[in-house]
Amino acid sequence: MNQQPTIQRHWARLPEWLNTFALGLWGALFLFYWRSGKLGLLIHPNYFVLTIIAGFVLLAIAILSLIKMIRQKTGWQEQHQSLLPPMFTSGLLLSAAILGLLIAPKPFNSDTAIQRGLQDATVATRMRPQAFRVNQSSERRSLIDWVRTLDVYPEPDAYAGQKVSTDGFVAYTSNLPDQYFTLTRFVITCCAADAYPVGLPVKLTQSRTAFTADRWFNIKGHMVTETLNGKRQLVIQASSIQPISEPQNPYSY
Amino acid sequence: MSQFNSGLTLFLSLIVEAIPFLLLGVLVSSILLLFVDEQRLIALMPKHPLLGALSGGLLGFLFPVCECGNVPVARRLLMQGVPVPVAIGFLLAAPTINPVVIWATWTAFRDQPEIVVLRVVFSLAIATIVGWVFSIQTDFRPFLQPMIARWIPELAVNPSATPALLQSGTFLLGQPGQPIAFDTAAVAALNRPKKIDIPWRDRLPLLLENMVQELRELGGVLVLGSLIAAIIQVAVPRDWILSVGQGPVTSVVAMLILGGVISICSTVDSFFALSFASTFTSGALLAFLVFGPMFDLKSLGLLLTIFRTRAIFYLVSLVMLLTLIFCLFVNLHIS
Repeated sequence: MNQQPTIQRHWARLPEWLNTFALGLWGALFLFYWRSGKLGLLIHPNYFVLTIIAGFVLLAIAILSLIKMIRQKTGWQEQHQSLLPPMFTSGLLLSAAILGLLIAPKPFNSDTAIQRGLQDATVATRMRPQAFRVNQSSERRSLIDWVRTLDVYPEPDAYAGQKVSTDGFVAYTSNLPDQYFTLTRFVITCCAADAYPVGLPVKLTQSRTAFTADRWFNIKGHMVTETLNGKRQLVIQASSIQPISEPQNPYSY
Repeated sequence: MSQFNSGLTLFLSLIVEAIPFLLLGVLVSSILLLFVDEQRLIALMPKHPLLGALSGGLLGFLFPVCECGNVPVARRLLMQGVPVPVAIGFLLAAPTINPVVIWATWTAFRDQPEIVVLRVVFSLAIATIVGWVFSIQTDFRPFLQPMIARWIPELAVNPSATPALLQSGTFLLGQPGQPIAFDTAAVAALNRPKKIDIPWRDRLPLLLENMVQELRELGGVLVLGSLIAAIIQVAVPRDWILSVGQGPVTSVVAMLILGGVISICSTVDSFFALSFASTFTSGALLAFLVFGPMFDLKSLGLLLTIFRTRAIFYLVSLVMLLTLIFCLFVNLHIS
């Protein structure tokens, strides 16, 4: 028979309650990200289905263990040697889930792009091109298509005069003069943790301050070769710059 | 503010990508705990130390457990009389050489397949070498905690050489074959609890209970690990990270230390490593992915339930040196 006073017994079970609640909350958070279209900000669409299944499974585990806890009067047997106290780990899981529910994740902005090496010459796409489509119309290339094409054949003159129509957001890189900004997009292969920026300089007819950093634009124009920072490179000579709304899924793949 | 936002996005993305794999790992390890009888597998293990260590490493494919599950399993194996090289090979390789972890690593490093392959090859090689080295110690009991050592049979004095009647001690008669010496290990062998005796109806609630507990423990560490990864990514200046991460030697050493300190579960550690993929050398990422599952602060506590301090010291130094050598080789000669 359990001789402990009722209140003390309930306190002893607090980590179990917290833990069950935290697991349920994580399940709910995954499903919420899915329904509200936020999942694309965090992970590659290939893995959506895993996360959605995990959301349902977590909810099911939480509900089943809730039923079990209500039916069962005594606490659970600790089967594991834990490094961290149960109260601490449960609390951690719960606070992280609450943080996720309260603050919506935001797509990475231009500061992050610069911090992650947008203006380093070393940044090239990590994806090895699977196919090189020479015949693709130049106007249908996305920003990432352009950067990949350049990776394969870097001579800028080969593209001079080709027409461009592409989307991206504005980043002010410090190594470009005032009449240029970098049209940027993030590429992810697995999740936001591996997002890396790709970009091309855009030449304007006015100062770049007319285009706020982080705003999304569709740029139409043609390719020219310029020497910037002592390096010959491909630049988009813009003829029209249309503001567009941020895409639901801002990453390229 | 923008740093906080990108840190938060990074933190959440690591967790959202990792939890499905964690869930799968926890499910499989809980099922194994309650539904699989290791005894039958043990009988199949080869006796040769090198082959034994290798097959112990490959056992991970049948017992997909991450580093938190492998220590209890390795302890159970030792107590059930598995040869030491097999148990050590299993202990070191099982967290990496299993389908869930390999899938997760593939997910994270799809565009660097060499990381996935080398992770598997290095882990298996190190586990086999260390298991083999430990087989030189013929009487393993001084390396073990007294609790475990009691279960290991005393070094056989070649029983066929001396007839049982001429040995001293207490014997169990009435068994088929030789009389059994009535020492602790033999009694233990006769009295080993059969966990498969649990009625089916009770197994599902136990499965659930085990899953919830493991999720709490491993999920908590995952949250901490993701937090550290996010903070390093946004708060430490990029120049600083690059200067450490691009050096062929410094990057490996830094990642070895990080792997030992951050006790993130092996099913999800590849996502953690992924956040360093653009700034650290391949050898350094491998060092994290190979060494982390074999030893970290969390597993230290668990290892102390099997081995004495001296044995842990040998084990960890060997593993660390081998990882260092392999990963430096990658940095200096391959990539």
